[in-house]
Amino acid sequence: MSVTAGMQATEQGPGINECWRQIGVSGDRSCPELREHLHCRNCPTHAEIARSLLDRPVPAGYSEEWALHFARAADRPEAEGEARSVVLFRLGEEWLGLPTTTCHEIAEPRRIHSLPHRRTGAVLGIVNVRGELLICMSLSELLGINTGGQSSGGGKIAVFRRLIVIGRDERRVAFEVDEVHGMHSYAERDLIAVPATIGKSASTVIRAMLSWQGRTVGFLDEAPLLAMIDRSIA
Amino acid sequence: MLFLMFRLGQDRYLLDAGQVEVVLPLLTVKTLPAAPAGVVGAINYRGAPVPLIDLSLLALGRSAAPLLSTRIILVRYPVDAGEHALLGLIAERAIETVERDPADFVATGVDAGMPPYLGPVASDGRGLIQRIRAEALLSPAIREILFQQPATHS
Repeated sequence: MSVTAGMQATEQGPGINECWRQIGVSGDRSCPELREHLHCRNCPTHAEIARSLLDRPVPAGYSEEWALHFARAADRPEAEGEARSVVLFRLGEEWLGLPTTTCHEIAEPRRIHSLPHRRTGAVLGIVNVRGELLICMSLSELLGINTGGQSSGGGKIAVFRRLIVIGRDERRVAFEVDEVHGMHSYAERDLIAVPATIGKSASTVIRAMLSWQGRTVGFLDEAPLLAMIDRSIA
Repeated sequence: MLFLMFRLGQDRYLLDAGQVEVVLPLLTVKTLPAAPAGVVGAINYRGAPVPLIDLSLLALGRSAAPLLSTRIILVRYPVDAGEHALLGLIAERAIETVERDPADFVATGVDAGMPPYLGPVASDGRGLIQRIRAEALLSPAIREILFQQPATHS
């Protein structure tokens, strides 16, 4: 707040109405709007004053610097085709990505109702996602990923397990993951080919590798993965 | 429906956010000598030239003020059936978006003789806001010069 006020004092002169210092949270709190907005930072009047900060003249070199930036951005990946988006999640130690369009929903994990005579294999049971009963898979079982050792995801404070719902309209399935990072944009040329030495079933559904924050993320291909899930359900 | 708000003089105008590719800060402009009225030049956006129109110049006859809040809005301008070209618009106070129902907008009632890019208006607590039809911003003559398309009359 003091930074904002300082900038206004130097750039705008005394014309600015520093209401938050007089009747707002930094003042005597007598502003009637406070009852509704609780804090000045939520108040539209405060937002309007903040926006007026942008009504300052363009500093020297500003246009030139930005012109250079957007001209050079040509060799950035977005220039060729659209930036694609992938949902990154973690299974055990392994980070994987799925095309965002494949993911329908990311929900909190819920109780899995096991199916009789289906105690083994990749099918864990049935979950209820907003009234819809979906088959819950174990993706780690399916892909042969060891989730035994509980690792913390990159030293974050709290890590939450999540349920990801994927599939096409009629055939939706869910699986649990140890952590969801969120969406990540990449370009086609950021993908690295899967090493030929990778064995097991994972290589057939992993289309490529993606470098992300110093890690290598396995990028899952939608169609083979759904086909593999279908086979394991049958 | 999301709209990008900007100002021409004291009045507020809206552009359909779906037409907007990106909002850029005020870049240095390569001027095009003897360009048609309103066209101030071209900018280099990711290696490709994008023609630039000053909305203040077009509508009010004065250049946009060189302030931080004056920005370049790149809109996807329809040039052919299904095809788009980027067109830059210099707009003052392009710093806000608003969510409005398209049904809120009504015709101004003063249509004859108005520039074709002015659309219907909606009211809010601070007055009227008017929609801008980006596709009608250029006269057919300028459109042909900028996008070199076969002569078609809309």
